[in-house]
Amino acid sequence: MPATKNAPTAKTAGSSQSPILSLWNAYYDNTSTRLKTIDAFLVFLMLSGIIQFLYCILVTNFPFNAFLAGFASCVGQFVLAASLRAQVNPANRKEFKEVSPERAFAEFALGSIVLHFFVYNFLG
Amino acid sequence: MRFLRQLLLPVLALASLALARSSTGDSVLILLDPSLKKEDFSVFFGDLEKKGYQLTFRSPKDATPEIIKDDVAQFAHVVVFAPNTKSFAADVTPQSLVSLLSKNTNLLLALSPKQTPLSSLASEFSLILPPPGTPLVSHFPKRDTPPTVIPVDVPATHDIISPNLPPVWFSGVPQALGNNPMLVPILKAPPQAFASDADSDKGADALVEAAEKSGEGLWAGSSLSLVTGFQALSNARATWLGGVELFSDDFINKEISKGVKSGNRQFASDVAAWTFQESHVLRIDSVEHHRVNETLPRETYTINDRVTYTTYISKYNPELDLWEPYSGIKDMQLEFTMLDPHIRTSLPPIAGEPGKYSVTFRVPDRHGVFKFVNDYKRKGWTYLTSSTVVPVVPPRHDEYPRFLSAAWPYYAGAFSTSAAFVLFVTLWLAGDDREPKKSKGAKAE
Repeated sequence: MPATKNAPTAKTAGSSQSPILSLWNAYYDNTSTRLKTIDAFLVFLMLSGIIQFLYCILVTNFPFNAFLAGFASCVGQFVLAASLRAQVNPANRKEFKEVSPERAFAEFALGSIVLHFFVYNFLG
Repeated sequence: MRFLRQLLLPVLALASLALARSSTGDSVLILLDPSLKKEDFSVFFGDLEKKGYQLTFRSPKDATPEIIKDDVAQFAHVVVFAPNTKSFAADVTPQSLVSLLSKNTNLLLALSPKQTPLSSLASEFSLILPPPGTPLVSHFPKRDTPPTVIPVDVPATHDIISPNLPPVWFSGVPQALGNNPMLVPILKAPPQAFASDADSDKGADALVEAAEKSGEGLWAGSSLSLVTGFQALSNARATWLGGVELFSDDFINKEISKGVKSGNRQFASDVAAWTFQESHVLRIDSVEHHRVNETLPRETYTINDRVTYTTYISKYNPELDLWEPYSGIKDMQLEFTMLDPHIRTSLPPIAGEPGKYSVTFRVPDRHGVFKFVNDYKRKGWTYLTSSTVVPVVPPRHDEYPRFLSAAWPYYAGAFSTSAAFVLFVTLWLAGDDREPKKSKGAKAE
């Protein structure tokens, strides 16, 4: 099982490259597909949140409830996804001995569904 | 029903041709000075009777028949031809004459160069009379009548008077007009005429001198009025004649030039028709208002509603004694007011639908108690006033638009989050088949 922080591999791979590229290569090589999926999800949520926040500041916050709903759905989903990532990451297994990845995913899914329920209630 | 009416109309018209009537009533009281004879006005009175009026004569000093009995006006119209009467019976006072106006009784009053109670009443109507004993005098055009008997050109196009009348003979006192907007000048003095107490021209210099000294200026020129109408707010009409002779048989039959009769007869008839509310009488039949695409009025309107206001107006036709739809008003306006008119828009006649005036407008973005106000006041025409109160309320909590175009980024954000969540879950569960094997393998290792 590959670990996310495999320092020796990163160093050997990126010794002749720029630090950012080597960081990226280390991440790409040593992160499991599942965590990558979560990370892609997180990036998407962050960008979506940033766009909404900029729109709120620069254009209008007029249906403020819609802004709150849209922004909160991004932030909430981000928090839930981040928690999921923390819990299913094999590197953190010591800290979450009680929580199996399945249980973590079930909690994440339930939390997300509740979150979306509130978001759509608040949106219109 | 409509067909029946169309059939009946010509019959009615034939039947009532001889009975042209006023819109307010047919009874006329004529206060005739004892010094005047009924026979001297036979043409004028005869024309009135021919139209269907019932004339009652009374001397100004007689006590009966009463003008007002138990606070009810007994006659629809009162004619006061009393140029010489200094004291009237107890019930004919300036106050009672004015109160007649508020009871929608029309007055036809004749002035004279003499000082009478009517002269002081005239000033209440914003008519400024020259000093007593100064009749209108004119030496033009050259003629064989005394200078106080003057041919006056009738305005060729006047709302009230028939067009292209020959000049009328006039003898009497002119009136300067105050700035009262209810005055309706009907006949103006000729430009060469002036008011003078001198019978001959010898006193002319003295007259000019006196006029300059007193600061009043000369009572002269076409700004002086000879016959002046007045329409009170109650729509009752009062017409002041500068001299009673204007309506006399003498003047009616007098030739204005060789072979041409004067226009006095038609003029008198026209003036009486206006004064007795035969002509230029309008009324608002009904008022409707509703939201666009609806037919019934709402109890309340919401801000920014589009509302249609419609009014139906009729004009009185004295020949048929009928109210007919009238679309001739081009300059009517509608106001939508809450203290101030928030909207003032023209209320045009609708082509093809006689008597209908309609306008559609957007209710302002302001809630409160509003009024549709139609206030049409034009000289010589019945005043039309109508006021309808409607409350304008803000939208109810569930009447606001729910989804706004400005919020599309937020909606897109929320939906894309959900979509991404679903996609993520799918990927996660799809990956589940492989991963456990791998992890099992890893565990096995």
